[in-house]
Amino acid sequence: MTGGDIAAILQGAVVTVTLSLIGILIGLPIGLGLALVRWANVPVVARIVTLYVSMLRATPLVTLLLLLFFALPNIGIPIDPISAAILALVMNTSAFNCEVWRSALMNFPKDQFEAAQSVGMRAGQRFRRIVLPQIVRVSLPGLVNEMSLLIKVTPVLAVVGVVDITRAAVRIGAQTYEPLPPFLVAVALYAPIVFALVSLQRWIERRQVSAEAAA
Amino acid sequence: MTMYRLACSNSLSRRLMLGSLAALFALPMLVGNAKAASMDEIKKRGLIAATEDDFNPFEFVKDGKPTGFDNELIEDLRKYAPFEIKQQILPWTGILAGVSTGKYDVAITAAIITKERKQSLDFTSPIADATHYYVKRKDDKSISSVKDLNGKTVGVQAGSALLARLPELGAMLEKDGGKLGKIVEYTSYPEAYQDLALGRVDYVVNTVINLQTLVAEKPVFELGQPVSGKSFPAWAVAKGNTDLLGFLNGFIAKEKETGRFAELQKKWFGQAFPDLPVAFEPEF
Repeated sequence: MTGGDIAAILQGAVVTVTLSLIGILIGLPIGLGLALVRWANVPVVARIVTLYVSMLRATPLVTLLLLLFFALPNIGIPIDPISAAILALVMNTSAFNCEVWRSALMNFPKDQFEAAQSVGMRAGQRFRRIVLPQIVRVSLPGLVNEMSLLIKVTPVLAVVGVVDITRAAVRIGAQTYEPLPPFLVAVALYAPIVFALVSLQRWIERRQVSAEAAA
Repeated sequence: MTMYRLACSNSLSRRLMLGSLAALFALPMLVGNAKAASMDEIKKRGLIAATEDDFNPFEFVKDGKPTGFDNELIEDLRKYAPFEIKQQILPWTGILAGVSTGKYDVAITAAIITKERKQSLDFTSPIADATHYYVKRKDDKSISSVKDLNGKTVGVQAGSALLARLPELGAMLEKDGGKLGKIVEYTSYPEAYQDLALGRVDYVVNTVINLQTLVAEKPVFELGQPVSGKSFPAWAVAKGNTDLLGFLNGFIAKEKETGRFAELQKKWFGQAFPDLPVAFEPEF
């Protein structure tokens, strides 16, 4: 393996991290939105959301991606590999995030909500001040779990031509006929990425604990 | 705060469910309606060419740059064509599907011409001779000719013409009272070679060109004998896109005439193939 090969894998790491971050940052609020729609039982829309979540949770990411990539241009929507990859990641992760958020919402104590109502808080205020801070804390482990899964599922994006860590490693192996060294480098790169995410989770949790202690 | 449960208890949700199911089944029809771009369209927006990234020596990536036989031809094509060439590099899995759905205009890779593929694709003039050979571990003394492959485990690429034509090898073995062993399919060849080195498969079947490159690079492997009849790889376009096919065949004919084709074949395959047919009608 040459220096150029390592640079190619590092470039792949930039792609993996960027696509994962975009997927997480868009998928997280969409998941919350979907969960709220179901929680509030908005007529019709809640049923559509239920169907969307059930269908996406049942569709493998690689199948969804190929379908989007090859079917969308035929209904007049040209889509490049990166956009297709992001769209598939967001659709997939938002469905799973929705369920994590929803589990927290379902267990949210009803009396707190009624207490907030009784002191005259409006719906937006109730959500921002009472509901959100508490469901974030409950959902965090599940959400971070889903995020780390999302990072590790990014190699399937290679099927439409996205070059992530794993694909860069495969290419080097194909050229040198020595697949093991590039794969070792690839594995060594995934670990710190996921570790950084878990550290972030720990940091948020510690901050919450100290904030509660101060209150 | 009533909790919502997944249920089809009223007609609204049932209708919704049925509607979505119908939409799901309608999707493949949209895919089937794909239209290949005409030559006029290509002149306007450029030619979208799909190539592979791990198919040494045809197309592979070295130090982040695409290289190999086909990539050098693409460089020549850029000078030859009066329009832009937009290259997309992706794994084999999506390439032929992308061409037949019109996502890419041409697959500039070594796609072996088969009867089945001809139903949805048209092929240019062959770019090399790709008779199928087997490769084995050099230290494996149990294999010295085709008949020794009886009952042995073979590694081959999934969805490839090599896999589709294994029955030919099966027929050869049956003549001597043998039969084809277990078949292991891989998404690409580097994994198959790795498993051959590890002893998980006894031999791998690929085209003579790929295997010559392999044994030159990795002396632990040894090239065997042919396990198929005539077989040629070519570039693929969508079925019925005769204008584009004519244009690409014109390019290939010109490269052959100037001697550039033979030069590139020598450089990447170690030998030139001067007797390639202009058109090839596959038996399989």
